[in-house]
Amino acid sequence: MRLRRTLAFSRRALLQFRHDRRTFAFVLVMPLLMILIFGYTFGGDVKGIAIEVVNDDTGISAGTSPVLPNGLFLAQKVIDTFDTDAFSLHTNINSSNARQIVHEGKAWAAIIFPANFTKNFLTAIMAQDISLSPKIEVYIDGSNPTIAAAVIKEVTQSVQRALKELSASLNISQIEMPIVIDQAYAYGGGDTRFIDYFAPGVISFAIMMVTTMITIILFVNERRNGTLQRLLASPASESEIVVGYALAFAVIGIIQSIVVLIAAILLFDVSIVGNIFLALIVILLLAFGHQGLGILLSAGAKNELQAIQFIPLILFPSILLAGLFWPIESIPSYLQPLSYIIPLRYGIDAERSIMLRGWGMGEIWIDIIVLVLFALLTLSASVLLLKRRN
Amino acid sequence: MKVSCPSCGTLGKVTFEQIYDTLTKVVEIHHLTKTFGKFTAVDTLDLMIYRGEIYGLLGPNGSGKTTIIKMLCNLLRPNAGSIKILGQSVPCKSIMNQIGYMPQDTAIYLDNTVHENLFFFGGIYGMTKESLEKKEQEMLEFVNLQDWRDSLVSTLSGGMKHRLSLACALIHEPNLVFLDEPTVGVDPELRATFWGYFESLVKKGITVIITTHYMDEADHCSRVGLLRQGRLIADGRPRDLKKSMGVGSLEEVFLLLAGRENP
Repeated sequence: MRLRRTLAFSRRALLQFRHDRRTFAFVLVMPLLMILIFGYTFGGDVKGIAIEVVNDDTGISAGTSPVLPNGLFLAQKVIDTFDTDAFSLHTNINSSNARQIVHEGKAWAAIIFPANFTKNFLTAIMAQDISLSPKIEVYIDGSNPTIAAAVIKEVTQSVQRALKELSASLNISQIEMPIVIDQAYAYGGGDTRFIDYFAPGVISFAIMMVTTMITIILFVNERRNGTLQRLLASPASESEIVVGYALAFAVIGIIQSIVVLIAAILLFDVSIVGNIFLALIVILLLAFGHQGLGILLSAGAKNELQAIQFIPLILFPSILLAGLFWPIESIPSYLQPLSYIIPLRYGIDAERSIMLRGWGMGEIWIDIIVLVLFALLTLSASVLLLKRRN
Repeated sequence: MKVSCPSCGTLGKVTFEQIYDTLTKVVEIHHLTKTFGKFTAVDTLDLMIYRGEIYGLLGPNGSGKTTIIKMLCNLLRPNAGSIKILGQSVPCKSIMNQIGYMPQDTAIYLDNTVHENLFFFGGIYGMTKESLEKKEQEMLEFVNLQDWRDSLVSTLSGGMKHRLSLACALIHEPNLVFLDEPTVGVDPELRATFWGYFESLVKKGITVIITTHYMDEADHCSRVGLLRQGRLIADGRPRDLKKSMGVGSLEEVFLLLAGRENP
């Protein structure tokens, strides 16, 4: 092996990078982007979970009990110890209204303290009778197992913290008396497994990636091979070309979704409670929108190598910020607004609402509107891009 | 040239200009200009092309041949000037049905079969299944690909791909065909075959506009336009151009004219 000759290879390869600034930037920026996004978003604690709190506890006023001359409002004590980072609390005076809000998906849980909460607590302690323990009703949307677990964990820990504080203030040994956390589920029934939660997300994600990437590569090839020029020099209009491709991708998207759904049901026993056709409509909208995005991005790539460079740019924000693996509530609050501009977020949200909550158009219409607008925007922009004749 | 007068039957001398005046104008280009930034690719071009001609746009690489064809096919917008094709101002989608275009690249779908390509390109020109089936057979015979109908294009040789590309440009029976450097990278035997194809098209009354930088090919054209740096430096029958300059080849004509421009 001749060193001189070997180094000639190295030199040429490095010079190539010098001339292809874009690839060079990609090589530098990509790992940086990955460490930043993963570092800031991966595995963080769930934060800012929307919670409705109903405090009906009448408590024990000062001077009414010889045991507690200063009075006690235990429910308020528990509420005060809630981690305000983890919970985004909203006080509600009506328990059925609070449950309704959870049912509508506007809050993840309703935490309801009954009227006789403190009194029952005191009675149970005095009588040393567990059966008299007060109950906190936690009405949870169990469609997201990570959030449901985080809610239960935080309520349990808050109760423990409140009781510890109470023991300290009363100067007695730790109060062991359990307070019962009565869990009721709006959706999911408490047995939602990660795979149930994950399946709708994976379907949406797979459609997004496949449609975007295939469209980019297809249109890069159309441009490079000259076939696009031939199409544009024909009587076919630009919108016919775009819609024609969109329909083809819709068919691919549906076949792909059906395969993933069947695999999820047969292999992992994933339960789907909602309307499967509505789920497929969401898939179609995702496919249309991302096909448009693919055509637009294809204009920025001269060959397949440059097209591949788009993968991480689409992949990472979608994986990390669209709520695919972990809830949007677990990413830092300053990154959360970014999730609103990622169309996949709405696709995943809609698919989960349909499959896990059994929701219909009445509930997911916002997601549908966003996806329709996204599809219209990217497809119209694609038509305009093809109409460009510079 | 001696021709007989259609009204009185007498023989007389008429100029080509007089004959052209009586022919149908297929392409009319006036003061056509196209710039890319500071670079002028086509500079105030005036040109008429008539029905049944093989018109050759001749010039070295970068002389503006492809830019002209792209403007004629509505793939590029001119900065100034006008184009009329078959009497209609470009851009006009309705005349596109009558135009066939073969780009410089083979421009066919490699992952589809010969048959699928022909049906696709015929389909986008609005051909029905019945007419496509009839025409497909004719085109396959024309470009000698009958035995390859169901083969994937990616498995064909370079020459076969070129032939298929031509067939895709002709399947919808256009009246006017733009062929952008159809013989680049084609072996001499196929080049001769191609020119045979083009001449047979003209016999059917189809107008062919072809770009090439092979000066020797231009003798097949009924008329040629010599292009240099985006300007038309000569326009006429190859024979007449050679005669007027007193040389034996179009290459010499080009070099002499180029030399006059930049002495």
